[in-house]
Amino acid sequence: MSDNPILEVKNLQHIYMEKTPLEHQALTGVSLRVYDGECIAIIGHTGSGKSTLIQHFNGLMRPQRGEVIVDGHHLSDPKLDIKGLRRKVGLVFQNPEDQIFEKLIGDDIAYGPLKMGLPLKEVRDRVEWAMELVGLSFNELKDRVTYALSGGQKRKVALAGVLALKPKILVLDEPTAGLDPRSRQELLDNIVQLNKKENMTVIFVSHNMEEVAYLAERIYVLADGRNLIEGTPRDIFGNNETLAKHHIGAPQTVEILTKLKEQGYDVNLKSYEIEAATKEIVSVLQSYRR
Amino acid sequence: MASFEFELTRNITIGQYLPTGSLIHRLDPRIKLLAFTILVIAMAICHTYVGNFIALAFACYLFYISRIPISYGLSGVKPAIPFILVLAVLQLLFYSEIASGGTVFVDYGFILITSDSIRLVIVSALRFIEIIFLSSVLTLSTSTTQITHGIESLLDPLKHVKFPVHEFALIITIAIRFVPTFAMEMEKMMKAQASRGAEFGTGAWWRIIQRTKDVFPIIIPLFNVAMARAEDLVLAMEARCYTPGSERSIYAKYKAKSTDYAALLFCILFAVLLLAFPFPY
Repeated sequence: MSDNPILEVKNLQHIYMEKTPLEHQALTGVSLRVYDGECIAIIGHTGSGKSTLIQHFNGLMRPQRGEVIVDGHHLSDPKLDIKGLRRKVGLVFQNPEDQIFEKLIGDDIAYGPLKMGLPLKEVRDRVEWAMELVGLSFNELKDRVTYALSGGQKRKVALAGVLALKPKILVLDEPTAGLDPRSRQELLDNIVQLNKKENMTVIFVSHNMEEVAYLAERIYVLADGRNLIEGTPRDIFGNNETLAKHHIGAPQTVEILTKLKEQGYDVNLKSYEIEAATKEIVSVLQSYRR
Repeated sequence: MASFEFELTRNITIGQYLPTGSLIHRLDPRIKLLAFTILVIAMAICHTYVGNFIALAFACYLFYISRIPISYGLSGVKPAIPFILVLAVLQLLFYSEIASGGTVFVDYGFILITSDSIRLVIVSALRFIEIIFLSSVLTLSTSTTQITHGIESLLDPLKHVKFPVHEFALIITIAIRFVPTFAMEMEKMMKAQASRGAEFGTGAWWRIIQRTKDVFPIIIPLFNVAMARAEDLVLAMEARCYTPGSERSIYAKYKAKSTDYAALLFCILFAVLLLAFPFPY
């Protein structure tokens, strides 16, 4: 982890439809720092400004007030190379399978690299790399039609389409929403792999606390367009008062441990991971046996 | 590049309702639709400069009394500008046979530009703007439900000649209702494709094929989404026992008040004045 953040947001504000009667302030002052190689979760209720925030990361929106700095580049700089920025920060929207438009899987994934003007050989290599990363066999699937895929596979194709740009930072908006449990787990494992093996910085938005506990190294909690708190999952999930105060849901492991504690058992609430929580429960059971 | 480069919804005024509670908002929707039709017809027929400027001023005045910022009307005109310009050029070049009167300015080959054809061009552009303004006021001051109920009850007599009034009204509601929805979908799609390196409207304008290809990544997914939405809508309607052709009751009953009749009378007088008064230019 280097000292300089790869992505820094300072007191960012955003007002939709400014100076119209429908004006609405979505961001009232968000600040965050993300370091190279981290896996960050952004959580918050609907309307807390998560989607608006992440659209600033790759320059789809420019800061109205405040600053966004990606890898040393200020987004408010009018001379910024916006195409370069979008290659550096890969943004995967909610339900990204909607954006597939080519007939063949390989062609759709190749869209980004082709737009970059890469030579055909390089494009092919990237498509293969991206497909294998998300667990789609290049040889088997590249010439299949996109509309015959299942929902989970379509989402993987869409993810591969963004990965083919080889971004340094991958931003995902509710990546697993609406997927069946198996596809969900596969996608989560893909994300872990991208973060750990390919050393991609991952920032994701989620409402699913199990997912957050499984993936995130740090969590930012957003409410009413500003960030309330940030910390490791251990800090945030392990603190009942914080959870209650900010109406944050907790993973089921934490809920079970909390219930045990209420019943008078001596458990450590900070053990939010499944293995750690299991150990806590086992120790309770063992003390009961004796 | 502005920060609202992708804020499509900002430029779409059709189907947006802006509740300010003004006099115009409170008018009976049937009266509003009737007055709208009369005014549009009058504006479409009126062919004098002065008449059209008065009509434009009248449209602006409607914005004022409905307490809707005129910027809404202007943002509706903006996307129509290229169309107005193309229309103007075509009219100037190819309408000389119809408008051949007046002073001749240019007579070169097939091009014949006269004071009449210039009048045609300017008056057409003005009419366009007037009608956009007028429809903006109508849709901004009347909710879509009100508009449909209005259309349905105005067309009610046509039931006797077996015209499917209710279905017609339903089609119009659905069409208007989904304009903002599709604008939002399109906005999302543009953002998603831009994140993959797509560019819109940056290529040189003469590379028509390239620029047409640039919109495929938006149009194709949008079409898919539209189909999916239509299917969802059908299911939702069937789940609520919608039966085509069956007798339906209406919960919104409108009763025109004296202000409504006054407004209608005023609009009719204005239309008559616009058509009958011999404006000098």
